[in-house]
Amino acid sequence: MILALLIVPLAAGLICAVLPRAAARASTVLSGLACFALVLALVPAAAHRDLTYLSYLRVDAVSAVFLLATGFLYAAVAVYSVGYLKQHEDLYARRFYAGLNLFGWAMLAAPLMSSLALLWIAVEVTTIVSALLVAIEDTDGAAEAAWKYVLIASAGLGLGLLATVFAYFAGAQVLGEHYNLAIEPLIHVAGRLPATPVRLAFLLALLGYGTKAGLFPVHTWLPDAHSEAPTPVSALLSGSLLAVSFYAILRYYQFTAAALGSGFPRDALLAFGLASLLLAALYVFGQRDIKRLLAYSSIEHMGILAVGVSFGAPVALAGVMLHVLAHAAAKANAFMGAGVLVAKYGTKQISAMRGALDVLPWSGPLFLLAVFALSALPPSGIFRSEFQIVAGGLGGGHYAAAAVLVVLVTVAFFGLTTASTRILFSRAPRSLSAAAAVPGRGEPSAWMVVPVVAGIVALFILGLHPPGELTGLISRAVTQLGAAR
Amino acid sequence: MSVALPVPVIQLLQVLTVALGAPGVTGVIAKVEARLQGRRGPRVLQPYYDLAKLFRKEALAPEGASWFFLAAPVIAVAAYLTIPLLIPVLTTYGLPLGYMGDILGGGFLLSLASFVVAAAALETGDPYAQMGSSRAKTFSAIAEPVVLFVVFTVALLTGTDLPYALAATVRSSAGQVIRPAHLLASAALFMVILHETGRIPVETHTGTNEFGMIEEARAFEHSGPFFALLKWGSELKQLILYTILADVFLAPWGLASTRQLGAVILAIVALLAKACAVGCVVAVIDDSFAKLRLFKITEYVSAAFLIAVLGVFTLYLGGG
Amino acid sequence: MSLASAVQAAPGVYEGVANVIAAVMLLIEFGMLRQALARDQIRLYMAQSALISVLAVVIAADRNLPDLYALAGLSAALKVVAVPLVMRRLLGRIDPDIQDEAPGVAGSQTLSPASAVLAGIVLAAFGFFCFGSLKLHGFAGGLGGNNGAPALALALAAAMVLVSFGLMIVRRDVASQAIGFFSLENAISLAALVVASGLPLILETAFLFDLLVAVVVFGMLIRTHHARAESLSTADLTRLRG
Repeated sequence: MILALLIVPLAAGLICAVLPRAAARASTVLSGLACFALVLALVPAAAHRDLTYLSYLRVDAVSAVFLLATGFLYAAVAVYSVGYLKQHEDLYARRFYAGLNLFGWAMLAAPLMSSLALLWIAVEVTTIVSALLVAIEDTDGAAEAAWKYVLIASAGLGLGLLATVFAYFAGAQVLGEHYNLAIEPLIHVAGRLPATPVRLAFLLALLGYGTKAGLFPVHTWLPDAHSEAPTPVSALLSGSLLAVSFYAILRYYQFTAAALGSGFPRDALLAFGLASLLLAALYVFGQRDIKRLLAYSSIEHMGILAVGVSFGAPVALAGVMLHVLAHAAAKANAFMGAGVLVAKYGTKQISAMRGALDVLPWSGPLFLLAVFALSALPPSGIFRSEFQIVAGGLGGGHYAAAAVLVVLVTVAFFGLTTASTRILFSRAPRSLSAAAAVPGRGEPSAWMVVPVVAGIVALFILGLHPPGELTGLISRAVTQLGAAR
Repeated sequence: MSVALPVPVIQLLQVLTVALGAPGVTGVIAKVEARLQGRRGPRVLQPYYDLAKLFRKEALAPEGASWFFLAAPVIAVAAYLTIPLLIPVLTTYGLPLGYMGDILGGGFLLSLASFVVAAAALETGDPYAQMGSSRAKTFSAIAEPVVLFVVFTVALLTGTDLPYALAATVRSSAGQVIRPAHLLASAALFMVILHETGRIPVETHTGTNEFGMIEEARAFEHSGPFFALLKWGSELKQLILYTILADVFLAPWGLASTRQLGAVILAIVALLAKACAVGCVVAVIDDSFAKLRLFKITEYVSAAFLIAVLGVFTLYLGGG
Repeated sequence: MSLASAVQAAPGVYEGVANVIAAVMLLIEFGMLRQALARDQIRLYMAQSALISVLAVVIAADRNLPDLYALAGLSAALKVVAVPLVMRRLLGRIDPDIQDEAPGVAGSQTLSPASAVLAGIVLAAFGFFCFGSLKLHGFAGGLGGNNGAPALALALAAAMVLVSFGLMIVRRDVASQAIGFFSLENAISLAALVVASGLPLILETAFLFDLLVAVVVFGMLIRTHHARAESLSTADLTRLRG
């Protein structure tokens, strides 16, 4: 079953490269839905034990959470892009679908990998594929964003490779020279690992994979890439790719905390997390481009994840896992809604969008709900997860950090909601000439609405009553992350 | 033959070898260069004939030049002839006068000679001579730190400043030859030697090129025996620097470890052979590259500086 | 490590050769910092990659790892032949009027060569001494025989990483930035060879192929950039800010 998870998107990607557009469209949607189904099928199994296949692939509870997030997004985005590409010239439709499938494949592959080296390779593949996807719209901005992205992310991943090398160095001291960087044995012998290489590996991994996860100060590619990419790709980037990069950091955290005690990694994560939160909260104000606004919100949520892990209490870690899922759904909704807005108004500038509630009977309210969900209003899943994180922080004695977290999240909330209420509720100013008046009422495409609805529903499920299996999975993941310390 | 030479004789032989062998090495380099270019080239002993001819000529001094102008070449040659007493030219063991100065002392004497000639050139008021000496001093100021770092490397490697000690260290094992600090210091020293002896890529040795000449210009106003002394002095400097490079850094073998006559003669031959080998490398470089424009010489020297600094760094962590 | 004790012991022959290779690779990195033409930077990259292959052979001989011979050959084929070929062809295609000459990117440096070298020395010293002060104890049989600690070569690799970042920073044209990234990968390969020479061959091969794919993507993006901006300079990429 795990193998199927790997093969399906890859096959779909290759098909899209050769078959005509309609077949490409169909295969993408099918592949997305199939992968989501496969991941859902994995969840009950992973909640009880680790699954392995061929010694290269391994699914434990932590991986399953991230797989779930990616699987859901892949399905949602696949459906959404059908509608999206109808709006835009399908000059690049086949390349887009092929790239989308390959991107989904790489992101599904990363949590499946059983060794740190293969994990690095998978993340590198995601960089490469997504860089091409970012550049696919042939505009100046897209070219600039893609170049910045690929250069900075690849340089960061170079540091990640160095981290992998040091992890090998540490592991080989105990496990012998031909140690293949498998994660499980490393965690088992963590107590005997030499301190300096492990510390070095963790720092380099935090910097390197943090580049791809959007942590301050190596986040500079993020606003550009996420705003210039086509909307489905932005949704995948924000919701899934950042999470997968954070997954890599979590793996390094796992064995570092076991080897060195949790003081050092938690301090590092706290520093980076709070810095990212601060930066994002400040930059969210004054954004004029809607997708850039959402990109900074992604940085904020990655910061929340890092801070959550640094709190260390089981409640906080459970909150982190839930947040991964909820953020994937919420960010995807927000981006998809933004995509509808952009398609309707023909521009990404917030100042040009007015009165969306009247114009878009479905997407308007859905976008409003998505933004509120993103800002942690109950009863969305994000509220629940952030509540758990803050509770864990306060319970663990990190009063100052938890307080700063709450303050900054509130600041970001203001930033987001001011922008979106301006879009949604305000009337068009009288001074605008008739030609620039609000566009006609109606949805651009039904395909673009359905995934958002599904996402909102999922968010509310996560917030109100997460299914039992999911809670079981999350608690297993929490124990695996070593919350006991 | 097992005649043991008295030590003062060996010491004298060191000076004589350098003094008499220097023009010969220049001649060999000129011949090799010409052959590489497809010409027959001048005879190897030509520099001796040049010196002899110049000694027979009349000496003139510009108006207004003081005694310093005439004394400078003599001082320079005297300094150059003192240096062979300090460095391992023929022997592996230190000779009595060899402890007069260490490698820093040798460097000081080289700088003294160079300074004296440059000052004399400044005295003359001739535009070319002044230009040459000002350029020479500017570039020396940049090249001196490189020499200092090379000296530091030597000092760090052996714990002393004596070139004899470094030669002994290098001879002791293959590991010592191949260690990064040693190779890097040798490379930096070689680049400095190209700079000091006025070879490509710093200056063209053949023909006078007014816009580019540095060393050549300083000798413009001297004539007759004094000019001969200057030429001889620059040839001595060349052989001394080659000797330091070969006998201390790169190939400290073939030196006499006893006082036997046979060993000493072998050492003389070995020294001249090594100097000619270095000279051949210089000739090949001469024919392969073009001269750098003047303002690029700083980049060249900064490259040498980089190499020397790296050599010192590598010593700090062990494994260098 | 106190200086006196560090200096008295010369490294063994193999370790000495490995350290020399690492030092020369760092020097080549500085050379790239000074070069004005993209074509010369590519040549320096070829030299650097060739040196990595030689180092792999040296380590294979010293520590008896036959896998590394294969890795050396593969790495040479990819990094000395394939990658420069791709870059040359890419840059040549951009300006077909200039045959055989990649378009020069002179004037794209924000610092003059001498200043760049001095800045590079500062960066290299920082990285070098930071890594050198970590007392990494190697395992028996590691590079360097009894001592086992690959301290010097690792510190040189760290210096090289920082200098390649410097190269990416001070240059404003995409070709130099790309070559800077490739030399970053070289530096990390150096660190990997020194520290992790026992890593299974399959993983090292995967890293190499990954690099090749990255090169192709870089190439495509350079072409895109050139198609839009009519030049290789990134000085005008200022649209996206804040």
